Amino acid sequence: MRRRLPGFLLAAPAWAWLAIFFVAPVAMVVWFSFGYKPSIFATQATDKLSFDRYAEVFSPTFFATFQNTLWVGIVGTVLCFLIGLPVAYWMAVKAPPSRRGLLVALVMVPFWTNFLVRTIGWQVILSPDGWLSTALQAVGFEPLAILNTRGAVLLGVVYNYLPLMILPLYVAFDRVNGPLREASKDLGAGKWTTFFRITLPLAQPGIIAGVLLVYIPLMGDYITATVLGGAKGNMVGQLVASQFQTAQNWALGSAMAVVLIVVILATVAIGAAIVWFVTLPIRASHRLVIGAPATTPASASIREEVTA
Amino acid sequence: MTTATTSKAEAPAALPGAESPGTVVIDAVTKHYGDATAVDRLSLTIEAGEFISLLGPSGCGKTTTLRMIAGFEEPDAGDIRVSGRSLLGVPPYRRDVNTVFQAYALFPHMSVAENVAYGLQQKRTPKSEIRDRVVDALDLAQMRGFADRKPTQLSGGQQQRVALARALVNRPSVLLLDEPLGALDRQLREEMQLELKLLQSRLGITFVFVTHDQGEALSMSDRIAIMRSGRIEQLADADTVYARPASAYVAAFVGQQNFFRGTVVEGGAVDSAHSLVYDMSAELPVGSTGLAAVRPEFVSIEADVAADASGAANTARGTLIGVSHLGETMQYLVRLGDDQSLIARRPSPEAPQLAIGDAVVCSWRAESVLLFPADDAASASGYVAPPTA
Repeated sequence: MRRRLPGFLLAAPAWAWLAIFFVAPVAMVVWFSFGYKPSIFATQATDKLSFDRYAEVFSPTFFATFQNTLWVGIVGTVLCFLIGLPVAYWMAVKAPPSRRGLLVALVMVPFWTNFLVRTIGWQVILSPDGWLSTALQAVGFEPLAILNTRGAVLLGVVYNYLPLMILPLYVAFDRVNGPLREASKDLGAGKWTTFFRITLPLAQPGIIAGVLLVYIPLMGDYITATVLGGAKGNMVGQLVASQFQTAQNWALGSAMAVVLIVVILATVAIGAAIVWFVTLPIRASHRLVIGAPATTPASASIREEVTA
Repeated sequence: MTTATTSKAEAPAALPGAESPGTVVIDAVTKHYGDATAVDRLSLTIEAGEFISLLGPSGCGKTTTLRMIAGFEEPDAGDIRVSGRSLLGVPPYRRDVNTVFQAYALFPHMSVAENVAYGLQQKRTPKSEIRDRVVDALDLAQMRGFADRKPTQLSGGQQQRVALARALVNRPSVLLLDEPLGALDRQLREEMQLELKLLQSRLGITFVFVTHDQGEALSMSDRIAIMRSGRIEQLADADTVYARPASAYVAAFVGQQNFFRGTVVEGGAVDSAHSLVYDMSAELPVGSTGLAAVRPEFVSIEADVAADASGAANTARGTLIGVSHLGETMQYLVRLGDDQSLIARRPSPEAPQLAIGDAVVCSWRAESVLLFPADDAASASGYVAPPTA
């Protein structure tokens, strides 16, 4: 008999990749965060370990930036979800099936351009003397004053991350399409009930994927904030980057990065808990538990029914 | 479940002399998909409490017809009335009909009981009543013990029963079944056929059953509508459809047939290429092309000892090329010529012992022969197997 290779070997390349390029760097960052910057020419040292860098992290500037980051991260993700959901639903359910491939390709079009370039593109559009502003002034509006504000950052992140929300939602809705929704209507449910009780719950994996795909990179994003946010639109990603690149203080940068990771994990957990609690009464009202069958064997019942 | 023919409260009272609750009237309905006509001026009146099957090959319009009754498709022309009320423009969720879907379409994120309760919840049924009716419906479908499981934990046959309970719990006046037994294995399918029929006669609900399986249609239906290209070819009970098919198409589709194509001669006979003549009383014009049909079970077979090449009427000589055991019957495949073969079927106890390659002679009684005008949709010659799954 031939010996078969264990199945997990299929995943070995991925495990190796994750170990070398994810687990090890994150472990190093955590390790560095307990160290310090020994001299002006060195980036970090770990011969003396302490929590001092964490104490340093929680400065008023950092808090303000963190608040800003959380605001952009949460509002940006919610906006992506609210904009992406109807689009994905329309693509998967309402659009003619022959057009769906084209629509998916169109959603992907922005990804054909470099992230930085298309963000700079917005700088051109939003600038006070750009064509949009000129056109608005021509019809009597004030010059655009959105560039270098939090609003511009929000606009930029929604634009940059929206496809990452639409695609998983589209896949999820596409899977639910067809007989299940018909069955719901057949059983007397209108389109809204069908959406909230059948389509949306079954699209849950896609919603989770979309929210995480948008929220996590968005929290660490610093390109959008740098290009569009100016001084007012600072995000934690920029602070971390400046500690590593400009200040050359890897210890402090690492501590900031660790705090960011912890906050992302915590906010995801809190968000999930909120959704769970808010939907709890709705789910409870639809729950129906029958319990163990009565003493009469079920198999006999139909014959009894018929002869009764 | 204590319900009988009671329909939903909101169903309007039938007008005097109009159709009673549970009656389905399809009135000159047409449905196009692009250039293709799926249903073509179809008219059909289904009596209240009747078990009717729409039978036909895929693409004949049977599923489209069912979907129009359910409300998933709107007719391009014509009218559909259930219990005397026109359903044109009425969305599926406001129709007093329920559907058992082909792939069951159970909601995977709900338990069996929650699936069954779904329709009742939509009608704002009180919670205590929902519980009782769900239990009743599950008892009826013999799925009481599986109430709290998820559909993915059930076998195909069990899912089928849940789908049935989920539809019946709403006490619709009409139940639509879209090839519900197609995915089951044969033994289970035959069991479910009996149960469905039993259920239907007990509940008195109108059943509209769509199938491409003639065995299913024959075994359960009060009447069968055999469909072809969006129209009804024949509408009759199982006996009539089987014994007196209205056309060669119906004859070919219901059961098996041996067909002989030839020119009609005096006395209602067909003179086929193999000089075989089939007497019968038919009214086809002499000289036209006809198709004579005889079912395999009417054909007797024996070893050809006479070696007499002359063809007596209703007799065919040929070579045995296949023998198969079908259980209750033995089936013989006989080659009569290059383009003509014949199937004979005898009950196993009295089946002759014949070997492949034997010269055989087949014969049948003139009364068992049916004669139809030639029809290109039916096979030109030779036996026609019904297009079963």
